[in-house]
Amino acid sequence: MALNNSLIFATLSHSFRASRFSLLGLGLIFCLCFAGCADGNASSIPSLQLTEADLAEADLVPDSELGSTATPQGRMALEKTDLKFGFIKLTDCAPIVIAKEKGFFADEGLSVEVIAQPNWKTLLDNVISSNLDGAHMLSGQPIAATIGFGTSAEIITPFTMDMNGNGITVSNSIWEQMQQNDENLRSDTPKHPITADSLVTIVKAKLAAGEKLQMGMVFPTSTHNYELRYWLAAAGINPGFYTESDIGGRTDAEVELSVTPPPMMPATLEAGNIQGYCVGEPWNQQAVEKGIGVPVCTNYDIWKNNPEKVFGVTKSWAEANPNTMIAVVKALIRAGQWLDATDDTGKLINRDEAARILSRADYVGADFGVIKNSMTGFFFFQKSDKRPMPDFNVFYKYYCTYPWYSDGVWFLTQMRRWGQITEPKTAEWYTETAMKVYKPEIYLKAAKLLLEEGLIEEADIPWETDGFKPPTADFIDGVTYDGKDPIGYLNSHKIGNKDN
Amino acid sequence: MERFKYSLLKIINISGLTFLEPVVRLCYGEEPRLQLKKIGRFIVIPAVTFMIFIWMWSIIAPVYKTKSGEVPTPAVVYEAARGVREFHDRETDKQTAYSLDGQDREASLDQVQEELKAITAEKVKADAEVMSAEIARKAFITEKLEPLKAEYETKKEEFLKAQLRRDRALKIKAAKVEKGDLQGKNNLLGYVRGHQEQTAAELDELAELKTEQDDVRNLNYPPLLEALKFQTDVAEQEQYLTKKEEILSKSNRSLKLDEEEDKLKQLQRQYASATGPDLIPIAQQMLRVEERMNNISSSEYAKPWTLPMQIARSVACVFAGFFLATAIAIPIGILCGVSSTFMAAVTPFIALFKPVSPIVWLPISLIIVGGIITDPDKHWLMVALSEMPLIGWLQINPAFIASAITVALCSLWPTLVNTALGVASIDKDHINVARVLRLTFTQRLFKIVIPSALPLIFAGLRISLGVGWMVLIAAELLSSSEGIGKFVWDMFNNGSSETFAQMFVVVFVVGAIGLLLDRTMIVFQRLVSFDGAPAAI
Repeated sequence: MALNNSLIFATLSHSFRASRFSLLGLGLIFCLCFAGCADGNASSIPSLQLTEADLAEADLVPDSELGSTATPQGRMALEKTDLKFGFIKLTDCAPIVIAKEKGFFADEGLSVEVIAQPNWKTLLDNVISSNLDGAHMLSGQPIAATIGFGTSAEIITPFTMDMNGNGITVSNSIWEQMQQNDENLRSDTPKHPITADSLVTIVKAKLAAGEKLQMGMVFPTSTHNYELRYWLAAAGINPGFYTESDIGGRTDAEVELSVTPPPMMPATLEAGNIQGYCVGEPWNQQAVEKGIGVPVCTNYDIWKNNPEKVFGVTKSWAEANPNTMIAVVKALIRAGQWLDATDDTGKLINRDEAARILSRADYVGADFGVIKNSMTGFFFFQKSDKRPMPDFNVFYKYYCTYPWYSDGVWFLTQMRRWGQITEPKTAEWYTETAMKVYKPEIYLKAAKLLLEEGLIEEADIPWETDGFKPPTADFIDGVTYDGKDPIGYLNSHKIGNKDN
Repeated sequence: MERFKYSLLKIINISGLTFLEPVVRLCYGEEPRLQLKKIGRFIVIPAVTFMIFIWMWSIIAPVYKTKSGEVPTPAVVYEAARGVREFHDRETDKQTAYSLDGQDREASLDQVQEELKAITAEKVKADAEVMSAEIARKAFITEKLEPLKAEYETKKEEFLKAQLRRDRALKIKAAKVEKGDLQGKNNLLGYVRGHQEQTAAELDELAELKTEQDDVRNLNYPPLLEALKFQTDVAEQEQYLTKKEEILSKSNRSLKLDEEEDKLKQLQRQYASATGPDLIPIAQQMLRVEERMNNISSSEYAKPWTLPMQIARSVACVFAGFFLATAIAIPIGILCGVSSTFMAAVTPFIALFKPVSPIVWLPISLIIVGGIITDPDKHWLMVALSEMPLIGWLQINPAFIASAITVALCSLWPTLVNTALGVASIDKDHINVARVLRLTFTQRLFKIVIPSALPLIFAGLRISLGVGWMVLIAAELLSSSEGIGKFVWDMFNNGSSETFAQMFVVVFVVGAIGLLLDRTMIVFQRLVSFDGAPAAI
């Protein structure tokens, strides 16, 4: 066999024959057939224009003679029926997936394609560039986009997808060191919540050796970033500040945080680039399953029933498709209700099926067993430590799906606390910004329709609220948060920017 | 017969499938010994090596264990490929179910309900099996774990006691040290250090024991794995059947249309009997129902992308990029070959841009394409492309275009350089003949320059296509444009027990398609070469 000389740029002398000429185009010509086919409108009656005479006649007749025209009843006219929604491979994308698989979207007359996105940045870009109609988003994303931190665009959210659902995992060696520092942890079932106190000496020792502990989170404006910072700061560890010139958020950091896409977390931890991370499910359970790390704290312990993901669309999309928007929210509310349905004993009845659906390769795709762990109300902290956590994922209970202004304000305070918002702002600014992003009016319209259709209970929805949850002190450090007093909240933290 | 033989041999020669040549010759009884020898060398030996490769793979793979599971054996990879295939089949099936109507739909529905009944019984069995396997596993693990746990506890207690005793002993020693006793103080320091080191060693030993326990907890229990696999298969089948049932009944297109038509008929009756201002709301409703019927009749099942579709899209994308590259590279290459001044002018650019990685080109082209096509749903190009037959289903979007541009930017260089070289090295005699015949520039270009350079141009195109294919997978992965690259990334992100095997499936798919593309280019290359362009491997 001759060697493959054609790979070498060799000069070869050739003779040519005209008969081969016709072959020249063969490899290059490719035909595109344009076949214009006009869509035939099924309506047989063409549209007619009213004449000037008709209109002039109408001007002369008094209103009383015309009688009132009843507004038409029936289903709303949808502006758009074929939709594309993006999601990240996390169990809290469940409302979107369930609304599709259980036919809630179809019930509203929507045909929805659900497309996995590689990371939060691409997801947001795809929503802004209209490649996607809407997406499963981090709560901080619409807010940050609206105030112009990072990518700038007006994104709104009429629906909160879930509460809780994150965990902080540390590598096995850090866990061993934590156990050495704190005798209480030397057990198969240590007492919870585990604070970062036992991490302090490790951080200090690393600093003394000229190193910084590296931890991963999923996005600069993610809940995970703020929760990890909260957890560290509650123990007096400085997780670093964002400044005008430092957009990595590492100024004065004692522990350095970096961004890694959720599905990459276990691999990055295993590779040793980070020694711990904060991420949503199933990536904490995956670490337990693979034996590469130990979840030490869930965000339920950091802030009981904290808001997690939202459903985000661009403001222009919502304005151009108001009825479709309402239909989407209706389907999502029903999906949340389905996910949180319980029997008389309080057992979640649909979660097994949900876990099965989510384990499909085109959705979350992790093994059923791993997804099931947290979805069905349990959480493995170690292989030997399985605990019931009925509220680990909340999709409907506790008015979870309502887009609370106070949630938006909390995220804004965290952005200010860590310097993502560089200047001090007034309390009114916080409220106004939250109102720009969170749209309970859309949510309530959808809920009202569902109530009329008899699909939800009246008690499920906070109809009369002003959008602010009552003040709560359910935090790991016991600080009280009142959405109406963001400045006071900022000033109540030991570590963090303070305003007057 | 002889003629047939020679045309057959010619086809084989041109297509580059030269390993078939001895088979044909043998069939015609031509020098059997020589042909058998050739068959042995070009068919039997490669086949045997491949078998050895598979055999070694299946032996070596299970030895190497990672935290993401064992390296998949050929059998596991085959299983994964079947899984991928099954997903495709099921989705296609649902798509068909959506558009079924009349008797076909009813027959299909009956069948699905039948199957559902069968699978429900199966499911009960599977669940019971998993349950008993789990109990068995627990017993199996506990049996191994108990002694380890006991050892751990005894050791722990032992160490604790030892530590306490050492503590007390140290205290006594410390009490004995006088104020000025330097030697004693130094000794004490040594004792404390020794105590600390011993404690650390004991902790290490405990940690070791703990790891051993974890290892036992991680032990595979084959019966449980089997039961779980069976359960998963059954549950997936059930899920698919339930969904199919729903698509055939509740959300079937023809049924939805019927429902709307009933509404329309009712409205028409109302419209006929109504008078005056009441007419308007009914008319509005009628128009709305009509619009909805239009929407429904043109609606499709929202089918997710499956690997076969993604492969087709990737191939389309690589060709889009390849043709773009060709359209840029050949004219520039010819100009470079014809004019050394032009060559001098563009050389810096070629030298500068050629080594740039696709990872750099992609974000740039994504941003540029995104800037031009701001609203993909309404942009005329996107609309035109989505309505074109044959390629409409590819759903060409900015990410696709950006990936194609990236492919073009990375793959145009071999063609460009080869074209320039081919044109520059035309036989001087040909040029002289052209001069004598006083051919015009165009005549010279099309009668002399291009035909002479064609073999080298095609050699370049072949390399370009190969480069393009490699670049494309990376580009798709980054731009999340549907295709093989996105499949790889999604499966990797799944992090499931199948991930590893699915990666191997992709290796073979990508390899096979690359091979096919290369072969196709060889055919073209041979068609335009006259001295039997060097055979390719």
